[in-house]
Order: sequence, then structure tokens, then C-alpha cells
Amino acid sequence: MRYDCVIIGGGLSGLTCGIRLAETGASVAVISTGMSALHFSSGSIDLFGYNGEGRTVYRPFEFLDEFVGSNPRHPYALCGARQVREALFYFRGQLDLEGIELYNNDESNHFHVTTLGTLKPTFFSQRSVFNEKIRLAFEKKSMIAALNFEGYRDFYPELAVINLRRNVLFRNIEIITGKIVYPDYGDPQRNPFEYRSVDIARIFDTERYLEELAVQIRNAASGAAFAAMPAFLGISNFKRHHKLLQELTGLLIYEIPTLPPSILGMRIDNALKSRFASLGGVYIAGDTVTGGSISGERLESVVTENGGGSALSAGSFVLATGSFFSGGLVSEFSRVREPVLDLKVYSDAERSRWYAPEFFPRRGHPFLEYGVETDERLNPKTGDGRRVKNLYCTGALLPYYNPIKEGSGGGVAVSTGYRAAELILEGNS
Amino acid sequence: MIRLQNISFDHCIKCTVCTVYCPVARATHHFPGPKQSGPDTERLRIKSPELLDESLKYCTNCKRCEIACPSNVKIADIIQSSKWRYFKKSLRPRDFFLAHTDLMGSVATRASLLVNFFIKLPPVKLFLDLFFRIPSERRFPKYARGSFLAWYKKHRAEQEAFAERAVYFPGCYVNYNNHELGKDVVTVLNAMNIGVIVSYEKCCGVPLIANGYIDRARKNALLNINSLAASAAESGARIISASSSCSFALKHEYRNLLELDNSAIFDSLDYITRFIHERFLKGNLPELKPVRLRAAYHSPCHLERMGGVMNTIEVLKKIPGLDLTILHSECCGIAGTYGFKKEYYRVSQKVGAELFKRIERADPQIVITDCETCKWQIEMSTPYRVEHPVTVLARSIDGGKL
Ligand SMILES: Cc1cc2nc3c(=O)[nH]c(=O)nc-3n(C[C@H](O)[C@H](O)[C@H](O)COP(=O)(O)OP(=O)(O)OC[C@H]3O[C@@H](n4cnc5c(N)ncnc54)[C@H](O)[C@@H]3O)c2cc1C
Ligand code: SF4
Ligand code: SF4
Repeated sequence: MRYDCVIIGGGLSGLTCGIRLAETGASVAVISTGMSALHFSSGSIDLFGYNGEGRTVYRPFEFLDEFVGSNPRHPYALCGARQVREALFYFRGQLDLEGIELYNNDESNHFHVTTLGTLKPTFFSQRSVFNEKIRLAFEKKSMIAALNFEGYRDFYPELAVINLRRNVLFRNIEIITGKIVYPDYGDPQRNPFEYRSVDIARIFDTERYLEELAVQIRNAASGAAFAAMPAFLGISNFKRHHKLLQELTGLLIYEIPTLPPSILGMRIDNALKSRFASLGGVYIAGDTVTGGSISGERLESVVTENGGGSALSAGSFVLATGSFFSGGLVSEFSRVREPVLDLKVYSDAERSRWYAPEFFPRRGHPFLEYGVETDERLNPKTGDGRRVKNLYCTGALLPYYNPIKEGSGGGVAVSTGYRAAELILEGNS
Repeated sequence: MIRLQNISFDHCIKCTVCTVYCPVARATHHFPGPKQSGPDTERLRIKSPELLDESLKYCTNCKRCEIACPSNVKIADIIQSSKWRYFKKSLRPRDFFLAHTDLMGSVATRASLLVNFFIKLPPVKLFLDLFFRIPSERRFPKYARGSFLAWYKKHRAEQEAFAERAVYFPGCYVNYNNHELGKDVVTVLNAMNIGVIVSYEKCCGVPLIANGYIDRARKNALLNINSLAASAAESGARIISASSSCSFALKHEYRNLLELDNSAIFDSLDYITRFIHERFLKGNLPELKPVRLRAAYHSPCHLERMGGVMNTIEVLKKIPGLDLTILHSECCGIAGTYGFKKEYYRVSQKVGAELFKRIERADPQIVITDCETCKWQIEMSTPYRVEHPVTVLARSIDGGKL
């Protein structure tokens, strides 16, 4: 089978790249082992949250303009600050076509609240997490009600509130907690351990109880302007539910991203896949690329677990297999390896230097900065040092950046995916 | 004892992503879902089989959880093997009949008219419902007269005369119920200048596995591996099957679930649309006549798991005049013999409800799908007729009516 481009890895990065390419009429296939990091993410797209000293970055694009000059190997530097901006707004436009609106605070970062009640700087969020009305109500120091569904074990409003109260931004803001009960809670109770965000989201998607819930929410919120709840306002129709629930309650309904599976992240995953498919892209789920054949400076084809020996060939390839978490990198006892093509990896030979002794070290864990080394065109080298000119590496697989320490994961995945597509299109024209 | 080769449950990071994509967990809260029934409780079962929970019988083995899992845990395999490792073998006559499709088929095809007539009678249905716990709502596939093999015998010589040949595994459904599909396979391959060598030793084993007849399934599997490998070696040919579930069993279940060595057939075995699509791409495209039809395509779970859906879609796209809607990937709910059991019938229909809704919204003239049991389920639950992609292709080749 032959495509113009085969993308290995169907996460944020691979899909952004695939959409950009498919949009030009190219034949594109994405192959992905399993669901991507989006199912674990907040559903907000981080651009640059913290500087080298761990302080919050308020105006990320301004920050980037200088940062890329002094960090030439950083993925953002490989894209160039201008293309990072282009990529992010392109991404927003594509999601918009699928009915997901992403909001940004102009040129500034905004914060989203985590399940534990900490704040994270980010750039794009869904309507239920950031928009103009939320910003104004927050600036007016309006009262907040943190609500939970009875029986839902992945959110403890009391705990979240303790942390929020410690934060200077929430000084002088009244926060209360409350509970709501599902009208037919009896049934899911049989398996309380499985009463997760998706179960609740699915009940929302039926729209059966919206009015009853609205009454409960209004009562529990007793006078607050915000009702903050774990994010489960539905997967497919959440925009409608969000709007209806705001109208019925007269409150601002705020969604807090939950532990995995994250509904906010799944919405983005669904939207990207749907956009890719509508442009004629082929998404092959549940198959793993196990190797490829490189001749000279070109990757000719790749083979997969299910392919039974028949190879997929393409003019260009993109490797967007993620980091350790998704299997794009694997750690052996004394080295870090790229498992598909055994590409040259940046890491440390000394295992004891891979991680810091604390769980949340201020400077971040070094292993998060490991990855497949590339040149400025995102082309990697084979283990024996040959450059592969039609293979582009993107996303969490790349080295020289730390998504957690910097708060930059989503932005790097989007902009390097977009960059790879632009390089491929440039090469073709 | 823990077998080292089968500890994929240890790779589970407890993210619950599998449960999100499990159609049964979505349909009923009596099933705790793949995470809990699979990796979570497997470690308990290994320690003490008494900790077995009946609820895992709800799993249909659709494999959607495995496609979703980011950590490559063989969740459905864990659940299936627990079913037959820890539960006592079912002594229900019903399960025996449902599992032994080839035995039933060879008897029923001798008196197909009678069987087809009787099985539709309300009193018979009531009897089956009361005493066999086969839901009276369930429609049975019709039996054909005689077997496909008998038809093939008369045509073997002309098929062997082709310079290029493919070994074809027809499966029980073609052999006992739907000879026409087998003939369509011959029409299509012949139009591509490929002869068809039929090799059919035994049922592939899918219904045996689902009903816990594992020893029988292993025996069948070994016979099939040997006979297919022998036929393929003789003609240097590829092996094809036009049933997505048979292909999946021959290729993956033999290896992963029955733990047999099927390397003799693994690389040369294809689901038919992969085989056809590859040849189309190499320029072997027969002359196709327009079919003028609005169709909706449903992708069966096991074809999804094999990554074969794109081949079927690409082949269908080549048919002139076929106005194709690709339905969102959903499980139809029947899961082979699962939907024939009274205790699961309701769940089975609830799982399929989303698909039925989507089909009605697309309002096609026909539905196309690769799997025979999906066909039964959709034809029973919606007003639409269902055809196999190869049948549609065959009509585009011979200009016959669809
Ligand atoms: C738990 C977690 C939470 C995060 N939260 C946020 C957040 O809230 N905001 C934010 O901006 N960023 C967040 N990030 C960072 C950012 O989301 C990720 O870095 C980004 O999503 C990575 O995208 P990716 O496409 O590069 O890789 P991934 O999303 O990891 O996708 C890689 C895909 O490749 C597939 N794959 C791997 N190997 C193979 C193979 N051999 N063959 C076929 N397929 C293969 C995997 O199955 C996977 O689907 C988070 C990261 C993690 C891990
Ligand atoms: S998706 Fe995989 S890793 Fe996640 S809970 Fe299920 S089995 Fe475990
Ligand atoms: S195989 Fe299908 S029914 Fe069984 S647990 Fe997995 S997704 Fe659910």
C-alpha cells in the first residue's frame, strides 16, 4: 500500500500534521497503537507556562521571541517563533470547524484549575474553562461553588478548596462546596469503582436529567456566580449542554479537568480524528509500527504488527510516537532507545542521572528532556549516524524541552506537527 | 501459575481508557468493564480462582478495549481465557449447538427447507425460548441446500487451470448458509485472472472459543493450520477468507488465545479485501460496471482489530456508481453467538442501538459489511438488506442485479 505520507502515532502532534497535509489533498494514513496522551490531558493547550526559574510566564509569545534565540535546540526554536504562532492559530481554526471553540486571553496566558485545586498557566482552553465572562466574574471576585456528584471518587471539592484558598489570586473570594445526586444513582452503584467521568458524561449526553440537575445545581450553589464541577458535561454534545445548563441555572458552569479518562481531552481527540477523516485521511487504530526499511537517506516503507509482512510505503513519514508514556521511547537498563527504527537518541549514559530524587523536582526530571535528536528540518539520524531525509520527528518524542517544567507540552506537539507538514509540503512543491 | 509470556496485565496503568470504549460497559452497568474484568481481577484470579466474578461473561470479545489501550494490554484475551480457564464448561445443549456450527450445518443442510420452515414457526420459537433460552425475537440465518464444497467440487478443474491461484477458506457460513457469497468470491477472483482453491477442513473455532469448547477449538485449529499450509505450499499461493471473524481467528486468536504456532500460515493469510486491494494497486483491476446504489458501510469489530477496514473501503471506492456513506465505527452487538442467548439478548440489542440509529439516519438502499453475524443482526434490527463487499464487487463485474 502506498500513501503520500504515513504518520506513526495518532496523538496531538500526529493528527495536527495529518490534518494539515490531508487538507492539501495529499493521501495520508495515521497508524496508532492506542489512545494518545490527550486522554490524560487537561484539554487545555499549554504554550509556555514557566520560565527557567520556575516563575509563571504571562505573555508566552513575547517570551518565546527571546527564548528561541538563546535555546537553539528547543523544538520551538526549530519551528521559529513565528511559525509557532501560525501553528497554534491554525489548530484553533481546525477545531472550530468541528465545533470546539478554544479561547485565549489575548496575548496572555490564563490559568485553569486542577482537580487538586492548583492553578496551571495555559494558552487555549475550552469555553467551560476560560472565556471573557469567566474572566470578568473572577475579576469581580464573585462567589464560587465547587460541586461534586455523590459517588464520584476522582474529585474531592473540599481538598481542592483548601488549595485554592492558599492561592493569592483567590484571596477575598468566597468558595463553598456542595453535592449533587444523580436521579438514577441506584444503577451505577453496582460498580462504584467504575463510576468515572465517562459514565456521568454519557448520562449528560442523553439530556434526560438536565432540568432536574439544574435545580440541584442552583440549590447547591446557593448564591454563587460560578458552579465549578468536574468535567463531565458530555462528550458529543457538551456545547449544547453547557449552554442549556447555564441558562437553566443562571450560573457560570465551570469545568475542572479530571483524572483520566479526561473528558476535556477526549473532546479534542474526537474533534481531531473527525476533522482528519472528513478530509479523507485514513486512521488505522490498534496497530503498532514495528520497523521500517531505510535505503540510503530515505525511509522506504514501514511494517506493522497486523500487516503480516506487507509494507506501507510513502513519499514521506512522520514519527509522532510520543515519549516514554506512549512508547515512543523505551528505557532499557543502561540506555534510552527509540523502538521503531532505533534512531539516534539524546539521553544520558548514566542511569542514576535520568531522574531527580524528589517526585516533583523544581528543575524537572532530566529524562523528560530525552528524545530523538534531529536537525533543524526535524530529520533524525539512524543509530549509525545516517540522516533520514524523508522522515520527520515531532511532538513529545523530541528532546531538549521539558513539557512539565516549562508547561509547553501541547504547544510543542501542535507546532512541531504543523512544522513537519509545512516542510513536507515545501519539499513537494 | 503465572506464565511469563502472558503478563500483559502488569502493563496496565489503570487509566480506564479501555472502559470508555467498551460497548458493553456502556450498555449495562452489570458489566464492570474491561479494566476491572481484565487486568484488575486477573491478578486476583491467578491467586485464587474463587475470586472469579460471573460478570465477566458479559464481555463479547469485540476487542475494542485492546484497540484503545495505550499500554498494549491484551485485555480481551485475558477475559476470554479466564472464561474458559475458570468457569466450568457449560453443559447447556443450547451452547453445544451454537458452538458446533459445522456439525449443525452438515445436518441442517440435508433438510434445509424443513429446518428453515420449522425454525420460523411461533411454537418452535417459543419452545426454543422456554427450553433452550434462545430469545424468540432472534431470527436465524437460513440454511442452504447442500454444501458449498459440493458445488465447488464440480468446478475444481477449471479453477486449477488458472496460472495464479489463491487458497480460499470459506468458513461455515458460506459452506452451509450462503453459497452465493462463495460463488461471488470465485467470480471476483476469476475476473482478476486468479483461480480459487478451496480448502476447508473445519470450523475456524470462533463459536467454540466463545462457548468454552477450547479443546475442540484447538483441535480444529491444528487441522486448519495444517491443511491450509499444505494447500498454500502446493500452489505457492496466498490464503484468503471472506469472513472477518474467521480471518481474525485464523491469524490472531490461534496465536494469542489458543497459544498455537500458526506461523506456517500467518504471513500468507489475508482477509479478502486486503488481497484484492493490493492487486488493484498493482494494476490488476477488472472491468467494473456502474452499480447505481446508495450504500452505508459498517466496519465489523474484528476487522477493525486487524486494521483491515481501509482495504474494504478502498475496494468499495473503486466501484463506479456506488454512493458510499462510511458509518461511524460502532459494535452491532451480536458478537457471534452472544446475541443468540436469552440472558444477553437485551444487552446485545442495546449495544447495537447506536449503529441502528446511524444506519437509519444514512437511509441507504443497502448496508455493506464484511461479517456474517453483523449482517444477521442488522437485518433483524433494521429494515435494511445487508450485503458483503465482495458481493457488491461481483455484481459490478457481472452486471447482475443487487
Ligand atoms: C499525562 C499527561 C498529561 C498532559 N497534560 C497536558 C495538558 O494538560 N496540556 C498540554 O498542553 N499538554 C499536556 N501534556 C503534554 C502534551 O499533551 C503531550 O506532550 C502531547 O499530547 C504529546 O502529543 P504527541 O502527539 O507528541 O504524543 P502522544 O499523545 O503521546 O501520542 C503518541 C501516539 O503514538 C502511538 N504510538 C507509539 N508508538 C507507536 C508505534 N510504534 N506504532 C504506532 N503508534 C505508536 C501511541 O499509541 C500514541 O497514541 C500531557 C502529557 C501527559 C503524558
Ligand atoms: S486502557 Fe490499558 S492501561 Fe488503561 S486501564 Fe485499560 S488495560 Fe489498563
Ligand atoms: S472485548 Fe469488547 S466487550 Fe469485552 S471488555 Fe473489551 S471492549 Fe468490552
